[in-house]
Amino acid sequence: MDVTITQEAEKTVVVLTGRLDTTNADRFQQDIAPLMQMETPNIEINCTDMEYTSSQGLRLFLMLQKNVNAHQGKMVMKNMKPQVKEIFDITGFSNIISII
Amino acid sequence: MKVRFEPIGGKTAEIIEALMASDDMPLNDELRFKLRLCIEEAVANIVDYAYEGGNGFVEVGTYINGKELFITLEDSGKPFNPLEKSDPDITLSAEDRPIGGLGIFLCKQLMDDMTYAFENGRNKLTMKKNI
Repeated sequence: MDVTITQEAEKTVVVLTGRLDTTNADRFQQDIAPLMQMETPNIEINCTDMEYTSSQGLRLFLMLQKNVNAHQGKMVMKNMKPQVKEIFDITGFSNIISII
Repeated sequence: MKVRFEPIGGKTAEIIEALMASDDMPLNDELRFKLRLCIEEAVANIVDYAYEGGNGFVEVGTYINGKELFITLEDSGKPFNPLEKSDPDITLSAEDRPIGGLGIFLCKQLMDDMTYAFENGRNKLTMKKNI
């Protein structure tokens, strides 16, 4: 799993590549820690090359979304692969996270 | 196939890959995705919670019966039936949803059947998928 975070004009773009699972979720949590500190987060997560997420990834996306809501920010997840989207659908995460 | 790991602390990835490398595993990517996910959730549960400090064993295996794939996991840790856990309320808002508690729920949704037994001092979890 590779994570790159870049600040563009108004938004923070996160690009995820590979598998997000129990072996790298702790590192991902550290990677996204700065996003939890933003005053008004505006986050776009590019999922084009995200191959997989387990519940360990889901819990971190939920943490991010809770923080975004608490700060009246915005977060979208873009271009999710169908098999990954299915995991968000099954768990109801598609209803609480904006997936475009 | 059947493989035993002991001790299991820190071996989550190794155990998952051993199961995924089984000759019984289908080649279809979509099925493999779902099987990997269920295997990860089940293995991580055992590695993280079955034993204090991970000082125990797990025996994992696969077999095929007709068009059904079975994945088995056995440990001698504290008795724990993961299937007894109530399902999360997936209609709650982000604010109200608790963090975690989705692993076994995902297994139940993605597998065709799951059974648990505590026998001879062992937790025995079996997951079945039609292939």
